[in-house]
Amino acid sequence: MKSITWISGIIGAGLLVGYSLRLAATPAMPVTAPPAAVSADNGQYKVGDHLQQNPDLVATPYKPSVNSDASYKEIAWESLIPKDWDAMKPFKGLKLDKLQDDDPRAEEALWKAKQYWKNAPIDPSMDGKAIRIPGFVVSLEREGEALKEFLLVPYFGACIHVPPPPANQIIHVHSAKAVKDIRTMDAVWINGVLKVDHSDTLMGSAGYSMTSIKVEPYLDKSTQ
Amino acid sequence: MSFLFPLAAKSAWNRRYTLGLMLLAIALSSAMLLGIERVRHEVRDGFTQSVSGTDLVVGARTSPVQLMLYAIFRIGGATNNMGWDSALKLAKNPAVAWTIPLSLGDSHRGFPVLATNFDYFRHFHYGDGQALQMAEGREFADVFETVIGAEVAQRLHYRVGDHIVLSHGMGSMHLTDHADKPFVITGILARTGTPVDRTVHIGLDAMEAIHLDWEGGAPMPGLTIKAAQVKKFNLTPKTITAVLVGLKNRAAVFGVQRDIGDDSSEPLMAVLPGVALDELWQVVGVGENALLVVSGMVVIVGLAGLVSAILASLGERRRELAVLRSVGARPFDIFLLLALEGLAVMLAGVILGVILLTLALLALGPFLSAQFGVTLHPALPAAGELTLLLWTILAGFVASLLPGLRAYRLSLADGLTPRL
Repeated sequence: MKSITWISGIIGAGLLVGYSLRLAATPAMPVTAPPAAVSADNGQYKVGDHLQQNPDLVATPYKPSVNSDASYKEIAWESLIPKDWDAMKPFKGLKLDKLQDDDPRAEEALWKAKQYWKNAPIDPSMDGKAIRIPGFVVSLEREGEALKEFLLVPYFGACIHVPPPPANQIIHVHSAKAVKDIRTMDAVWINGVLKVDHSDTLMGSAGYSMTSIKVEPYLDKSTQ
Repeated sequence: MSFLFPLAAKSAWNRRYTLGLMLLAIALSSAMLLGIERVRHEVRDGFTQSVSGTDLVVGARTSPVQLMLYAIFRIGGATNNMGWDSALKLAKNPAVAWTIPLSLGDSHRGFPVLATNFDYFRHFHYGDGQALQMAEGREFADVFETVIGAEVAQRLHYRVGDHIVLSHGMGSMHLTDHADKPFVITGILARTGTPVDRTVHIGLDAMEAIHLDWEGGAPMPGLTIKAAQVKKFNLTPKTITAVLVGLKNRAAVFGVQRDIGDDSSEPLMAVLPGVALDELWQVVGVGENALLVVSGMVVIVGLAGLVSAILASLGERRRELAVLRSVGARPFDIFLLLALEGLAVMLAGVILGVILLTLALLALGPFLSAQFGVTLHPALPAAGELTLLLWTILAGFVASLLPGLRAYRLSLADGLTPRL
């Protein structure tokens, strides 16, 4: 009789704990999602954080991969900026170390630079490239609870706290299949073919878009 | 083995009242669990369906969630209005494809009145990018004309050509009617399943016109401006509540948002609807989880009831099980018999729960939709709900193994030893 009480106690407690855990986890993670989805919470990122990538990627330009099972080649966000674009151009002809402190010309150059960076061009040669890139999600359109359209940006908090990223650092993603359990500022990897939109040359109208084939949670290498 | 099934059925029929009560407890608890999950799902769905294709919601500075709630879902009130000149300036921004001005604040018998212009019918989209459609009649063209949502028409039995009177503020009291300036219904919108259904739409100029003699904040005694005379006045709005903005290129949204936020002529705020909704779910999610855990507890209590009822029934079934053993049933058969019964009760209970919920939704659906704006459709359990139900059944089955285990151990010795 005693053992029965014991067994029932243990099973009951197990059921209780298991069930509550299951319930607590349910809204955030249906069975289809890998358990990893939970750990991709945005609690670990600070505003301005970039996702870790191999530093070599920044230096190497895009090369299509010959390997078929890795046909989506990982690229760095810097690869989306044209190679010949000089970020320091507004400061050309301005010898910063020769200027006095509080020089109005420095202020003017910085203002110009802001405009220049804001209208940073896209790289047309990236059109049609199959890429894989990590970034943070900004939700646009949902289908029920699943996300089907979003913007991918390179650093955390891109929408409010810091000046917006230039057009060549935003990818407008249509997901081929609506993805569940992704919220704004979740970190994800996306695979897809990059498209360059030329539709309009007016301010801020050119940009990158993509129909993503795969969206998966980004896992920090240190937590893997 | 198969002889066990009719035997289990007959034995169960013999104890139908106890089992029936258990069945009811399980059905009720699983209906509750499922109901909460359903409400959660439908509420989210309703919110995300309410707006589509809108890139920014612009209004006076407040909380992003609050701006979304009143501009799109007509929940709560505006803390402040924005200037009409800012709206015009926004429409001229080269990155902006279209704008829809919105002005809220009045009501008609509890339904919110939305003042807007033609762009609303042209550019407002909901659901999966569907445009608004007229079920009957046409859009408003003159000052005192109105277009009503499907829900308004149905609940108040309005037809095209009827005259209605708007009330000042959001109350359903008729103390402050704009009775001197009745509106004629020129059109009824097709049902959308969004807050549009519960909205009375008028022109921005009409909003100005009905408030012409309200300049002191209340209708001034002795001052009346007749409906026929309103066109003598300038009916251009001075302030509006919010502007919905569509962009030529969605990726430019941060730049435009920045421009609006940095505008030095008026402190404004631009919100990405998707981001604001995510923020809302993050807040609401805590409560949702608490509800779900509570309903999980209810299920556990139901399961505990099941286990204790089966355990208690072992006492009265001592002879039954012992006789079975004596005619050759193995202990394992006894175990199986009880496990089978537990599983059958769980399964039947959960199915009954689904039926109960469906009936409840059919009965209460219209009431919920009218009272809270949540449309609940009686439907077969969705994938997420099915997993929840499967877990319930599994948990119940595992729990019912316990009495089986006890019977397995005790059936022979206990039942055949007379204890009087």
